[in-house]
Amino acid sequence: MWYVNMWNINMSRVLRDSKLDLLQGTLDLMVLQTLNSMGSLHGYGIARRIEQLSGNEVLLNQGTIYASLVRMVQRGWIAAGWGISDTNRKAKFYSITKAGKRQLKEDRTQWERLAVVMSRVLATSREGGKP
Amino acid sequence: VSSVRLAWARFVAAFRKHDLDREFDEEVRSHIALATEDYMQRGVPPAEAQRMARVKFGAVEASKDAHRDSRGLAWLDDIFYDLRFAFRDLRRDRAFTITATTMLALAIGLNVTVFAVMNTMLFRGFSLVKKNSCLAYIEEHSPSAGCCSYPDFEDWRAQTRSFEGMAFIGERPISFSDGGGERPVDTLAFTVSNNTLELLGVHPFLGRDFVPADQEPRAPPVALLSYRSWELRFGKLPDIVGHIVRINNVPATVIGVMPRGFDFPVQGDLWMPLTLTTELQHRGPGGPPAYFAFGRLKEGATLAGARSELDAINRRLAASYPATNRDVVLSVESYSKFFIGPNASVIYGSLWAAGWFVLLIACANLANLTLARTLGRSREFSIRIALGAGHWRMVRQILTESLLLAGASGALGWWIATWSVRTWAAATASRYQVLDYALDDGTLTYLIAISIAAALLCAVVPIGRLLKLEVNGTLKGGARTATQGRRSKYLAAALVAGQMALAIVLLSGAGVVVRSLLTVVDAPTGVSDPENVLIGSMALPSEKYGNSETKLRYFDRLEVQLKAIPGIQDESISNTIPVNSGIFRTFEIEGQDNPPDPGESTQFLTVGSDYFRVVRAPVISGRAFNDGDLDSTLPVAIVNESFAARFWPNEQALGKRLRAKDRNTRGGWRTVIGVVPNIMQGDPLRQHFKPLVYAPFRQDPGTHAQNSDGAGFNGAYFLLRTSVPPRQVAQVVRAALQKLDTDVVLQEFTDLRSSFAFRQDRMDLEHAELGKYGEAAPIFALIALLLAAIGLYAVVVHSVNQRTKEIGVRMAIGATGEGIRNMVLRDGMLPVAAGMILGLAASFAVNRILQSQLVGVSPYDPATVIGAPVILILVALIACHIPSRRAVRVDPVVALRQD
Repeated sequence: MWYVNMWNINMSRVLRDSKLDLLQGTLDLMVLQTLNSMGSLHGYGIARRIEQLSGNEVLLNQGTIYASLVRMVQRGWIAAGWGISDTNRKAKFYSITKAGKRQLKEDRTQWERLAVVMSRVLATSREGGKP
Repeated sequence: VSSVRLAWARFVAAFRKHDLDREFDEEVRSHIALATEDYMQRGVPPAEAQRMARVKFGAVEASKDAHRDSRGLAWLDDIFYDLRFAFRDLRRDRAFTITATTMLALAIGLNVTVFAVMNTMLFRGFSLVKKNSCLAYIEEHSPSAGCCSYPDFEDWRAQTRSFEGMAFIGERPISFSDGGGERPVDTLAFTVSNNTLELLGVHPFLGRDFVPADQEPRAPPVALLSYRSWELRFGKLPDIVGHIVRINNVPATVIGVMPRGFDFPVQGDLWMPLTLTTELQHRGPGGPPAYFAFGRLKEGATLAGARSELDAINRRLAASYPATNRDVVLSVESYSKFFIGPNASVIYGSLWAAGWFVLLIACANLANLTLARTLGRSREFSIRIALGAGHWRMVRQILTESLLLAGASGALGWWIATWSVRTWAAATASRYQVLDYALDDGTLTYLIAISIAAALLCAVVPIGRLLKLEVNGTLKGGARTATQGRRSKYLAAALVAGQMALAIVLLSGAGVVVRSLLTVVDAPTGVSDPENVLIGSMALPSEKYGNSETKLRYFDRLEVQLKAIPGIQDESISNTIPVNSGIFRTFEIEGQDNPPDPGESTQFLTVGSDYFRVVRAPVISGRAFNDGDLDSTLPVAIVNESFAARFWPNEQALGKRLRAKDRNTRGGWRTVIGVVPNIMQGDPLRQHFKPLVYAPFRQDPGTHAQNSDGAGFNGAYFLLRTSVPPRQVAQVVRAALQKLDTDVVLQEFTDLRSSFAFRQDRMDLEHAELGKYGEAAPIFALIALLLAAIGLYAVVVHSVNQRTKEIGVRMAIGATGEGIRNMVLRDGMLPVAAGMILGLAASFAVNRILQSQLVGVSPYDPATVIGAPVILILVALIACHIPSRRAVRVDPVVALRQD
């Protein structure tokens, strides 16, 4: 689009945030998986669930999750709406959409393939290290 | 699709920042509340639970930033930020902003004006006519005539492959009345072949187009009105179609009205179908009345191709009809070239270039001002760079500022251009150039493009400077060093030199053009005291004054009336006046079997007995005409010096005989009875006196008079030598004419001096635009000079301000006021001198391009070559002098204490 190119900014760089690409991709996948299995959840609920599953390996702060959530809402992978929690508190609830499910399937396949490849690569290098 | 959706979502989010921030705040609050409850459920005391929830959430501000970054467009926020910053900055520096915007707006407005005018002149042309550029104008010439014949046209039309269609047009003077029985008025009608409007792609606004049946010799007369005459003569009468008007006293039916603004080929009141009379069926060029043909080129056909094709057809015609078509040549021109003249591209191209020069000067000014501002803020920039702001960020800020300035200037410039194009259109309105000056989208795009280009041009110098900014040095050296940085000084000087060079080129270009115009206007006419000669043309209605006797009787009675008016010394009638062209006729001289060139023609005039007394050009040898030179006496002639010198170089002209020898008629021999001094006659450039032959009016009263359009009319001019200013007797003369016959139409009623003024339609095609050119060029030169002077002034002021401390030191160690002033003047004038030399060299090259437009002036005209630099130096001296006085007033004590 011209207004982007006028400033000579790479479109993909504008839309994707550079630094945490890998980590963010992982976090997005976790959020999608969580929402897929648990149904509708608020931000705190998602954060708790991920903490329970992964310890503090992925989420340094619970606040980090919101950048991921808003991005996926904009992509149309998840939907958001205000609702009332079990404890009768107003909270924003997120749920996975059809597009999100598709994305989840795609990401999962890719992730699994990558995991297989990575473990194979790492295994050979360990053997190669000890002749 | 998803990436577009995402981009859109983010674009929208960037504009809803405030709402989204508030919503996220709420979400964060709810998150912490939920977490606190959760901890409390697990048995943590409330205060501790809340603390833990907050710790677990992490830094709220950081997550807000992350939220903002991932949902919105960071760069868009940055642009908003830059814009706000630039806006605030420009508002703070109001003097700079106003100066810069005004200068740039003026330059952009001027540039766009020229662009719009050029676009119209060279490419667009007629309003409403579709694809103007594909129209070609066709005329045929033989040595004695220059007018298309209908049978020739039919042959071209039948054989051509280059044209989609061809049409035939003539112009004829008519008397017109709207059928209500009131007095008829004389006006012009165009007789057109029935396909004309279709070929132009224009349809009547009311009623119908012409059809082939209208062209039949016995068809009932019909007419299409122009919107103007429908409005002026009929007050937009709604049921005008079918209305009966009288044309040349014959009833004709109005079949329609053309759309507003449509005029073709020149301004006129109505169009009538060409009637295929037997008179029209003559082969070979003839006329009057004047006819021409035009054609619309087929897609892909070129004008050159069409020209050679028509030439080939014409050669075949010459072989088939040698009697009429032997020496006929065709001229095939594009419409714009025909109506605007062959040198329009030189004129408008050079004006456009001048527009760019002015814009460049304005940009150089702005670059200099921005440079000064950037340097004034170098400490600020250095601090920001030291604190980690990227260079790119600073560059973007300068760019944004320039773009903001250029945007404002562009908007103002558009307004200026709208106004000035309208002024130009009104000032140059002419029957002969029916042009569509509307500013269109193309012009707007052009304006936006040059505004952006101007912004970039203004920004490039300061940016270059900024990138070289030495952070350490600036921070250590304090806000001001004692002397101005050498590099920025050179940059400023180079910009000033460039401006001066451009200004000199414009000045000397304008100089030669204006001198050409003056050469034409001030050329000797051979008439003494023309301001005391009252002139006017009398058009006699043909029904009443159809033959020589009735005409002569009228003029006899007129003479008596005029002679009785006090204040009139001498009076004469003649068939034309000195600015108009006489009737060109081929002729032969007794005893010379030449005329030297068989086709050579010369102007024949018929004048009254006292003509040479009225114009104060007394006979040199022989005698003037007198009342005894009648139809029944010896046919006589008077020639001018130029004629005598040309055809009887070493002989006595008196007593020689000559006669007009037109295509069909052969007049009787006329004996030369006198030689008169040269008087200008119709020569547009007025650089040479052409040979002329005068005959007594009474021996040839049937000759048509020639009006300023070169069209013949039934009547004559009168010339009255007055002893009082002509204005004082004008009313009496008009009344005398009215008393004689109210049906005689008085036109071109003015004094002879005014009739000599420059008029575009009297010029030849090549120089037709000289008047506009000569008036526009000095405007450009003046604006350029003014802008350059402002630029120089600003630079010198800035340099004096920068060097206050240095000047203080110099004065403290003994420099005199004069020494300081000389230093400032020298520093200011050095780049002026450099630019002047450069500009003079360039103007020699540029002026050569203008050569085709110059009349009687060399491109290296000494007056201009000396005058332009003198003007520039004077203006530059003034621009330097004002700040130099300030420098002298610097108080060393105050200056040294500063900072």
